Amino acid sequence: MSWSVLDEEGFSRCCRLLVQQSQSLRDGWSWEPGQGSAEGYLRKTTLRTAAFTSRPEREPEGSGAAPEQHTAPGRAEEPSQSDLAAPAASGDADDLTGAEDDGADEDDWVCRAPAESSSRVLQYEYHVLYSCSYSVPVLYFRAFTLEGRSLSLDEVWSCVPPQYRARLQQSPWNTITQQEHPLLGQPFFLVHPCRTDELMRPVMQAAQQQLRWVNYVVTWLSMVGPLVGLEMPLSYAALSPQSPTATAAEQEPSEA
Amino acid sequence: FPVLMTVVGAGCSVNVSVYDFLQPKLQFAPFSSALEAGFWHQLTQKKLNEYRLDESPKCVKGYYYNGESVGLPTRLTLEFSALDVDVATPARCCPAVGTLYNTNTLDAFKTTDKKALLEKEANEIWDAIQSGAALKDPSILCKFILLTFADLKKYHFYYWFCFPALCFSEGIKILQQPSGLEKVFSAKQITALQEAYDGLCVSRGTTAVPYFLMKYTDDSVQMALLGDWDSFFTDTKKVTVGVYDPCTLSQHPGWPLRNLLVLLAHRWGSKLDTVDVLCFRDRTLQGSRSIQHSLIFQVKLPELPLNSGMCPKSVGWEKNPKGAMGPRMVNLSECMDPKRLAESSVDLNLKLMRWRLVPSLDLDKVVNTKCLLLGAGTLGCNVARTLMGWGVRHITFVDNAKISYSNPVRQPLYEFEDCLGGGKSKAMAAVDRLTKIFPGVNAEGYNMSIPMPGHPVNFSQATLSQAQRDVEQLERLIAEHDVVFLLMDTRESRWLPTVIAASKRKLVVNAALGFDTFVVMRHGLKKPPANHNVSEAADSSPSLPSVPGSSLFSNIPGHKLGCYFCNDVVAPGDSTRDRTLDQQCTVSRPGLAMIAGALAVEMMVSILQHSEGGYAVASSSDDRMNEPPTSLGLVPHQIRGFLSRFDNVLPASLAFDKCTACSPIVLDHYEREGFHFLSKVFNSSHSFLEDLTGLTLLHQETQAAEVKHTRTHTHTHTHTH
Ligand SMILES: [Zn+2]
Repeated sequence: MSWSVLDEEGFSRCCRLLVQQSQSLRDGWSWEPGQGSAEGYLRKTTLRTAAFTSRPEREPEGSGAAPEQHTAPGRAEEPSQSDLAAPAASGDADDLTGAEDDGADEDDWVCRAPAESSSRVLQYEYHVLYSCSYSVPVLYFRAFTLEGRSLSLDEVWSCVPPQYRARLQQSPWNTITQQEHPLLGQPFFLVHPCRTDELMRPVMQAAQQQLRWVNYVVTWLSMVGPLVGLEMPLSYAALSPQSPTATAAEQEPSEA
Repeated sequence: FPVLMTVVGAGCSVNVSVYDFLQPKLQFAPFSSALEAGFWHQLTQKKLNEYRLDESPKCVKGYYYNGESVGLPTRLTLEFSALDVDVATPARCCPAVGTLYNTNTLDAFKTTDKKALLEKEANEIWDAIQSGAALKDPSILCKFILLTFADLKKYHFYYWFCFPALCFSEGIKILQQPSGLEKVFSAKQITALQEAYDGLCVSRGTTAVPYFLMKYTDDSVQMALLGDWDSFFTDTKKVTVGVYDPCTLSQHPGWPLRNLLVLLAHRWGSKLDTVDVLCFRDRTLQGSRSIQHSLIFQVKLPELPLNSGMCPKSVGWEKNPKGAMGPRMVNLSECMDPKRLAESSVDLNLKLMRWRLVPSLDLDKVVNTKCLLLGAGTLGCNVARTLMGWGVRHITFVDNAKISYSNPVRQPLYEFEDCLGGGKSKAMAAVDRLTKIFPGVNAEGYNMSIPMPGHPVNFSQATLSQAQRDVEQLERLIAEHDVVFLLMDTRESRWLPTVIAASKRKLVVNAALGFDTFVVMRHGLKKPPANHNVSEAADSSPSLPSVPGSSLFSNIPGHKLGCYFCNDVVAPGDSTRDRTLDQQCTVSRPGLAMIAGALAVEMMVSILQHSEGGYAVASSSDDRMNEPPTSLGLVPHQIRGFLSRFDNVLPASLAFDKCTACSPIVLDHYEREGFHFLSKVFNSSHSFLEDLTGLTLLHQETQAAEVKHTRTHTHTHTHTH
């Protein structure tokens, strides 16, 4: 056991502080209690515009892959959305379009936003949970379109700028895997926690030597977050509490 | 003017007159529906467990936010918890309450009367405006409709949002163009405005207020709730209303203002000349908050036909991504179909191994390898499970046995239930279990026997033609696969596949068990047949007297390595005859099959990682200190394990030119005569093959030389289940 090991109590203390700071920074972190358990997780969602390359559609499963042919007569074929969302994966229900004539009155009072804007928008959802087996926080995330379709990992990667991508893939954080969210039971990606301790130990030890308290979760998020598009404002460091009680409590080596 | 007119009418089929341009009309940015991935999961759960076939409307809760960055659409978001009405709205967001109509069929989805749904909601909004209920709870003004159909077989979700908006019969004239708050208000006023808004939130115990009233002077701002109109505005010369505005466009307000203006026109239109509107936008970037990009402008409210009391015309169905009036569909099979999820998880887990530990690992080579498992007993079960662990998708079993009561405890693909009623076929049961373990596997089973030397097939024409069919089937299977695993329980049943695979140049991995010893080996992979006929091959290594069982030579290339039979000086015969039960069914220590099965697969993977594959030079125990030839390490010819000593050695041996299975003369006879030759082998005693290969002669020579010391069979004669 190293003094830098984060126990569950330390984790929730770090999270409470992070949420407090987030409220003044207004960057959207909240604490979500797990249903019927003491556990919970940090949560944040962000929105960003990004062109992503969608994975080629899989083999059509018989005739089932394509929706039934639409009956709208004479509807001109739209140019495909090429480099945007996978045409077959989402979008308008082709077979149904045009079958509607009710509610189709043109509305003169609508301003048209640039057409591309909503199709390029991705929603990112980040959860931070505590892993008892690794004694470290774990970052779960998923990215999805405005329709709620989760992106594959390849698609997520394609949103990362190439110059950044190369660097990230060599970094020790390049350990993304897929798992069910322990509390929600839905598929998420996660940055595997197997190297978190290795990466955090020198940071925490340096801080200890300088008699400085650092919020483990904030520090770790600022290192691991950028891999998956999550930035922690520098203001978190500025807001770091120098409260002597917190300092004393945190710096007491557990085995000294 | 034509250019300008185009600008005004952009996207609308409106004829714009010059007059209209000079007196522009207010246009609103519609909501873009935004669904979080969790929403569809939750709807699926509710549909399966709660709603079932209930199509009655359900309450659904969304929210919108006025702090997005420029360029992002005006969203109305439904998250994971949207179907739980009690869940709190995220901080600083405004709630929007909607009605969910989830139909049971696509047809019902299509035929739902959308116009009627819209009119129903519009009427409710209108009623709330008339009764004053909307003043007390203005969130009614942002009601929405969500029509859905969830195809839970394909994981296709059809949906259509509607954000009902009541219409005036004429446009809303803009008297003062929208401009940024910082251009109209002083810094002091902006600060006062922010404080007034925060104060209003605090007084209401919330973190966002959707609509508010505002009065200001040069250095102060006052705010009040919509319901306090009469006490707040003592005169109506200068009226400013604030709307929490989710839009980010610099010239347009978002949707929530629309119904508010109708409310204002209905209740106070006759008293108001003009209305000032503040579109309150409030964003924080890097911890620094700003409201100065809020919009402020002045409009003249059109008159509503007062007396009729009829609900105005309404609009609001959302356009699809192509800009057409129609529903949307999202295909979530990738993220919701459990089979697809299992596949992507397995893939990612393997990739994790590559990323973490072995960056140069060629996973595709492994995953795409087609494996033929001859034998689905203890070894076959363990080999299959290890192959699955490596992500191998194509696994075929051949076995003619049925599952017996003694099997399940040692053969991890079977259960007690499989033994009942005479027992299921192993090959078939193994396929079923593999598919249960991982539906993405492409497994096949063949309940067939493999003809063996010394086991006559010529009792009748029927048995003969059955044997011929079995041989053809086996030839076809070997041809269709990349790697053949020999995992049977008799030595002689390995002969036929050894011959066929040698002839077809297929990689063979062989595993056999003793009581506490095992051998796992790859067969030598003969050079491609094109430039090697039999006589040349026989001549190609004339210098060395071929010595069976030799491990004297290091650096034996893959094509010169021996097969399972190369070390034998007797041909395979009927090994099950004339033996006691003990000898027939050598019982192994239970862990042995798991060890050997796992090693067989790991050996295959290491071979596949070698650039020369089955032609790779054999690594030996001596190479353990050297630079490994692949990213995974050594590529031995054989692994011989001794459980009593918990020790493995890595011998390598040359192909034997008198081998009864892989020698050129045997392959030549097989390739030229086919089943005719094979049936002779099946129907004759072992002396047939020994005569053919020259082993008989060798025996005579050795006896003549009175070498009594018979060569030890270095392979283990094994019979496992
Ligand atoms: Zn041989």
